[in-house]
Amino acid sequence: MSIDSTDGTDGPVSQEITVTVDGETITRQVEPRLKLSDFLRYECDRNGVRVGCEHGVCGACTVQQDGTSVKSCLSYAVQADGAEIETVEGLDDDGSLHPIQEAFHETHALQCGFCTSGFVMATKELLEENPDPTREEIETGLADNICRCTGYQNIYKAVERAAEKMED
Amino acid sequence: MSSSHPTDVGADPETESESFTGQGLPRVEDHRILTGEAQFIHDITPENCLHMALVRSMHAHAEIESIDTDEAEAHPDCELVLTAEDLKAEYNPMPTGIDSVETEDGVADLFEWSLADEKARFVGEPVVAIVASDRYAAEDIADLVNVEYNSVDAVADGMAAREDDVVVHEDVGTNVVDHERIEFGDPAGAFEDADNIVEGEYSWGRISGVPLETAGVVSSYDDEGDSFDIDCNIQLHTLVDNMIYETLGYEEGDVRVNVPADVGGSYGTKIGIHRYCCLTAMASQQLERPVKFEEDRIENLQGGDMHCSDREYEMRIAVDDDGTIRGLEVWFVDDFGAFPRYPVNQVLKPLSVVTNSYDIDDVTYEYDLVLTNKTSQTAYRGFGVDPHIYALEMCIDKAARAIGMDPTTFRRHNLIQPEQMPYTLPSKNIYDSGDYPATLDRIEEIIEDERDGGLLDPEVVEAKRKEGKYRGVQPSVIIEPGVSGSDWTDRQRSDREALEDRPRDDVEELPEHLRATLEDDGTVTAYLATDSSGQGHQTLVSQLLADELEILPSDIEVDYLDSIDAPTEYGSAASRMAVMLSGATVGLAERFIQPATAVAAEHWGVTEADVSYRDGSVERIDTDDSLSLADLAAIDTDERRLTQVSYNYEHPATEHEEFDEAFSRKFPVYPTAAFGANAPIVEVDIETGEVDILTFHTVRDCGTMLNPMIVEGQAHGGIAQGIGASLLEEFGYEDDGQPQAITLFDYLLPSIENVPEIQMEHTETPSPYTETGAKGVGEGGMIDAPASIATSINAALEPLGIDEPADQIPVAPDHIRRNVRDLE
Repeated sequence: MSIDSTDGTDGPVSQEITVTVDGETITRQVEPRLKLSDFLRYECDRNGVRVGCEHGVCGACTVQQDGTSVKSCLSYAVQADGAEIETVEGLDDDGSLHPIQEAFHETHALQCGFCTSGFVMATKELLEENPDPTREEIETGLADNICRCTGYQNIYKAVERAAEKMED
Repeated sequence: MSSSHPTDVGADPETESESFTGQGLPRVEDHRILTGEAQFIHDITPENCLHMALVRSMHAHAEIESIDTDEAEAHPDCELVLTAEDLKAEYNPMPTGIDSVETEDGVADLFEWSLADEKARFVGEPVVAIVASDRYAAEDIADLVNVEYNSVDAVADGMAAREDDVVVHEDVGTNVVDHERIEFGDPAGAFEDADNIVEGEYSWGRISGVPLETAGVVSSYDDEGDSFDIDCNIQLHTLVDNMIYETLGYEEGDVRVNVPADVGGSYGTKIGIHRYCCLTAMASQQLERPVKFEEDRIENLQGGDMHCSDREYEMRIAVDDDGTIRGLEVWFVDDFGAFPRYPVNQVLKPLSVVTNSYDIDDVTYEYDLVLTNKTSQTAYRGFGVDPHIYALEMCIDKAARAIGMDPTTFRRHNLIQPEQMPYTLPSKNIYDSGDYPATLDRIEEIIEDERDGGLLDPEVVEAKRKEGKYRGVQPSVIIEPGVSGSDWTDRQRSDREALEDRPRDDVEELPEHLRATLEDDGTVTAYLATDSSGQGHQTLVSQLLADELEILPSDIEVDYLDSIDAPTEYGSAASRMAVMLSGATVGLAERFIQPATAVAAEHWGVTEADVSYRDGSVERIDTDDSLSLADLAAIDTDERRLTQVSYNYEHPATEHEEFDEAFSRKFPVYPTAAFGANAPIVEVDIETGEVDILTFHTVRDCGTMLNPMIVEGQAHGGIAQGIGASLLEEFGYEDDGQPQAITLFDYLLPSIENVPEIQMEHTETPSPYTETGAKGVGEGGMIDAPASIATSINAALEPLGIDEPADQIPVAPDHIRRNVRDLE
């Protein structure tokens, strides 16, 4: 690990980090203030990570870090050094959708789709922990994500359908 | 009227079907979104692109004494610093909704510069623009700018602003920049004759759409062509592009405004993002490099020109002892913030549904449009109808109670009857079709079921009351005006007196444009002139056009046109697209089939009468000869008659003389009236003041449903936004103009925990005025849910004797508690 000053003055220093993103090992020099969400979007070309508020309310930037969902706007890239990150872009299998993605499509659980990456990743964690959630458990599991279009009705259906698909 | 209960996704776009229209065809938009491949504007960053950050005023009202940019310009990463002085040297102010105001000394211009000029008029108003190599650096540099302000008194309340003690625009001399009083029928006579007059005051707090994707733009100036390419997520890009090219001082054809296929929500709000387009375009011209701006969430909430209606109402109803409403008087103030931007006609749209579902002939409608030291208004789902319906339904409740009549019986007594359809309102708009009493009856049946062992079972209600929890419900039938015309929208910039006898021929409507190209492989590409932000227009057009061309939706791609390739047209607003695209598709298909048959006839050397179009092929009658669309594409290589087929669908009301008076006089024309009735079962906790919606029943009718899955999705989303508006959301301000809600911790968007189960039924009463019988749908839930929730809260707390607990929106816990405390 090296720490350099970018311009030899008092400016921001940068630091080398290595992160595994959707199975790909990525090493970059980054400023300590670079947010993990911006690192994923701009250094790792993962535009599927959406940024809606940058203060941890909307959940559009939700990714999995070492198997747990995190809001990537709330941490810095340097904090993810050595971590394994999974984004929505790593879910599909060579073009065929993951069962959660299929379920969202089939139940019309997205409209504008800006929140969808976050909901899909939050659903993934929910179903990994609880493969057959009740409506109340879905509510608790997805309470940290905001959708402004669907009124959530079809998101319940999507989670239930995904649970059925993943059980098979 | 038929009844149906659409389920979720049904049809398959790759399998033949009698009709794709009317089915819940899954969306073509979904795959790219679900995989993260969709390119929203934030994802577009061209090579060599620079980034903009803005220095914004922290004062609500302040003279700008000096701007010191030396330190900023000395930063190694700084590319450009812009102030109002720089803009004024080369560019124009941005067009506003009311560009001049009559004063005692003549006429004063009402200018809005893209950066504050001499004076800052709201917290968050951009003062300096910084361009740098990346956004992090641009923000560092913004911190180095030193602006000296002289803070002066601010006005942040619409009612107070009418006093003109503090004037937002000194040259104009008053904050009341628009006012109108319109009388329909004989309201004075009605109020004189009626047995009772009931009055109520209602307050609608500042709310907005707050899409999850903030505004974004990438502008590139081309020195060689002296022209601009502007990629952005503006809404109505063919209509409001004048905000950009007029500001830049260019012609329409020199400024190409392009909106990505995917926009992360708008709900009307992104109509007003032109400031960012102008500033990045100016910077890109100065630097001859692309310049990008991405609004952050705090900028968006605090000073993003995106708040909506902020109204104080005084409603008066004249009513006889037998329950007949004789007259209605509407008076309100709408606080537009610092500048009267484009959607000033939001104060007029309620005229399209002025009496809602009630048969009232004599009406007065009067408003003051005032300016204050707050961020400016934009459009939001409902476009000013939502507060009107809320205030009206509150006063209807009050009138019923005043004459001692059950509020539902009172409403039923005054409903417009099915035999009165089509029904002309006093304000000259027309309701096309519908059985309002039947809808009220159906929602009453549903409520009766809840009273019989359900959430409203008398025993349960009584037991809950002992815990301090009061349940109630009060439905009404509420209209969603659909498919706005465009001609009326500049009423406030017209000579209103001259409108009294304006010839019908002077009316100019905007059509909906649709285009198609036959590809070499026989598939069809259609081009939308509107932009989209989640409504599924690509799916809808593929369904409609597949039926008209008798091919599969999967053989149709739908793409988008930019502002130069598309003619000036209106686009997706005012619940227009289902109806406008229905008509445009029918016309486009005729324009497509005609040359297809001509090409085939010429190929065979026969007349067009000898061929016919069927199932995506042209057949030679009485033979086995047939040419597929791919064959026709191969034949049509020279003249290419099938590659540039287009159609402009005229607004449907122009075909019907009964709308002529509304058109001529520039009253809002909305030829479809979707309607519905809601029964939100609310539970009010009088200890905490919190309102819980236990379940939300709704019975809705939007005419023929083109894609029931999308229709339901629109209703769900609208209702959720209505729940947010009525219980959670508000852009509050301190008296000195400091905003109280600048993060999503303060401006509360409904989460999955705040939205109950929505139990929806549909009826389908086709519109006689539209091609498919469809009515506009999209804004409905936002228009009807707040009124229904408010009246249900009134009903819940009636046993306590609280007079109108929901007299302000949002009905926040502290407001309920204040009412309860006042009782004690």
